Amino acid sequence: MLPVVVVHGGAGHIPKDRAEASTIGVKEAASTGYALLQRGGSAMDAVVEAVALMETNPRFNAGLGSVLNVKGEVEMDALVMDGTTLGSGAVSAVRRIANPVRLARLVMEKTNHLCLTAEGASKFARSMGVPEVPEESLITDYAKMRWKKNLEPDANPNGNIACATSTGGMLNKMEGRVGDTPCVGCGGYADNKVGAVSPTGKTPEEASDLALRYMKERVEGLGGVVVVNPNGTWAARFSSLQMSWAAAQQSQLHFGLFHVVALPNCGKDHLPQGQ
Amino acid sequence: MWQEAEKLFVVNKAASSSHENKLMKTVIVVHGGAWDVPDAAAEATVAGVKNAAQVGDTVLRSGGSAIDAVERAVRCLEDDPTFDAGHGSVLNAAGEVELDSLIMDGKNLAAGAVASVRNIANPVSLARAVMEKTDHVMLTDRGAGMFADSISTPLAHDLVTELELEEWEHSNSYRDGVKRFFNTNRGHDTVGAVALDSFGNVACATSTGGIRNKMVGRVGDSPIIGSGGYADNGSGAVSCTGHGESILKVTLARLILFHMEQGKCALEATNMSLQHMFDRVKGCGGAVVLSSTGEWAASFTTPRMAWATVTEDTLHHGFNQREHFTEKL
Repeated sequence: MLPVVVVHGGAGHIPKDRAEASTIGVKEAASTGYALLQRGGSAMDAVVEAVALMETNPRFNAGLGSVLNVKGEVEMDALVMDGTTLGSGAVSAVRRIANPVRLARLVMEKTNHLCLTAEGASKFARSMGVPEVPEESLITDYAKMRWKKNLEPDANPNGNIACATSTGGMLNKMEGRVGDTPCVGCGGYADNKVGAVSPTGKTPEEASDLALRYMKERVEGLGGVVVVNPNGTWAARFSSLQMSWAAAQQSQLHFGLFHVVALPNCGKDHLPQGQ
Repeated sequence: MWQEAEKLFVVNKAASSSHENKLMKTVIVVHGGAWDVPDAAAEATVAGVKNAAQVGDTVLRSGGSAIDAVERAVRCLEDDPTFDAGHGSVLNAAGEVELDSLIMDGKNLAAGAVASVRNIANPVSLARAVMEKTDHVMLTDRGAGMFADSISTPLAHDLVTELELEEWEHSNSYRDGVKRFFNTNRGHDTVGAVALDSFGNVACATSTGGIRNKMVGRVGDSPIIGSGGYADNGSGAVSCTGHGESILKVTLARLILFHMEQGKCALEATNMSLQHMFDRVKGCGGAVVLSSTGEWAASFTTPRMAWATVTEDTLHHGFNQREHFTEKL
């Protein structure tokens, strides 16, 4: 069983001039998360830090760089889930918070609930001393051109699994629109006991492809997933044109953008030593 | 449209029972919440679910859709102050009513949900409007309120009942809060329904005021697809009730249907899933379940859950564990 951190920066169409920055961003997030694991951090620590990095990175549709709703505002959703206990925390349609994934983690750790929405989420943030940031500080010039999601499941040496997801949602969405991201079982799920001995016997890759094909055929929806099982077997699969992703395992950093592996934006790097 | 109906007819013929006119038998199953219902509320609770099931059945028998039937049945329960949905909902930590609801159509997996809405008498109808009038599946809080306003949904300012206000004040003075309800059998008074119509379509609907003294903005399982409910013509329909946080952690509705897809009957799938929820996260609850061929189940791990089913001119109902009464209609 090998520890692994897998991240993605969104499935969809990534314009050429943004591709490099997106690939660098996911590689950085995966490396950071993995380094945390190597230093003895938990799976939850690793996913939260990796996603928080992508929220701070203006290149991704999460936190700073989120797409705007129909009113030009930023409303964000985030989810964390712990595969050991099935503990989970989520926020939906939250405004003026720099790192929704951290707030989602606080929901999990400091309340008896799993999800807080909108005004209630802001009220909770204030009670936790999480600072409110100006709306403008989350809006980039490029905000209207993007739609991405960040998702990161990973496994640490103890075989514990966690996932985290964060998004600004859909461009021009209605106010108060909530997507899949903060919904347990849709935007993410983590269970230490699933996948190691699967009742249907599918590998992460097979399961992902089957599920994506079903979504395409049944409701004409495209998307992508990153998946890991408790053994450390991982997959990054997508039915959309592109998905930037990176996986850190042992001393290797795998990454990709297109379906065909042999393009310049894909490949393997060696992770820096001593990190 | 005619061609589509014909195709359904051919498929359903194999699955349906004995009716000469070859339409599917219709089924509606309704619940009024899985929890430790106090004796004082027993009679009204049982009467409420029986009434709602018959209202839904009237829609189905006159050729109405499963979606219409579940919406009508749940509206009855929202309007009835006995239940924790719409009128009669429990109050949050700030003494206000915040409502969640989900509706889903098994034909095309269309769904609509609202979370944390205020001053709406029938959240299930607002959820249906989200499904039918927007490109989205879920709206929350202020945005949901603005949408309601945009379709001229009247505001309701009388959702707080005296009984609930008293209960809220009582629980505040003893600092009960949500901790007391966590994983216990209290206050899980969500309502819901599943239906199979004569065209072979299934649908589900769930509606709730949530847990007494919940944090402002707390969203439970009820409006979350796959947890509070799910409907898919390919496998069946489910509406869940119980400890919301536990239901979410195991995605209870989807879990039940998964077991049915693997070959288990509705009752076994429901019981296995409820057992898993108890074993894994110590949560209790219940569900009403329908398969795509009209097999149905109502099961719960709390002391009580009022449920009622109408199918083939018979009303089935129960309240305590192992109860199953039948009445010819």
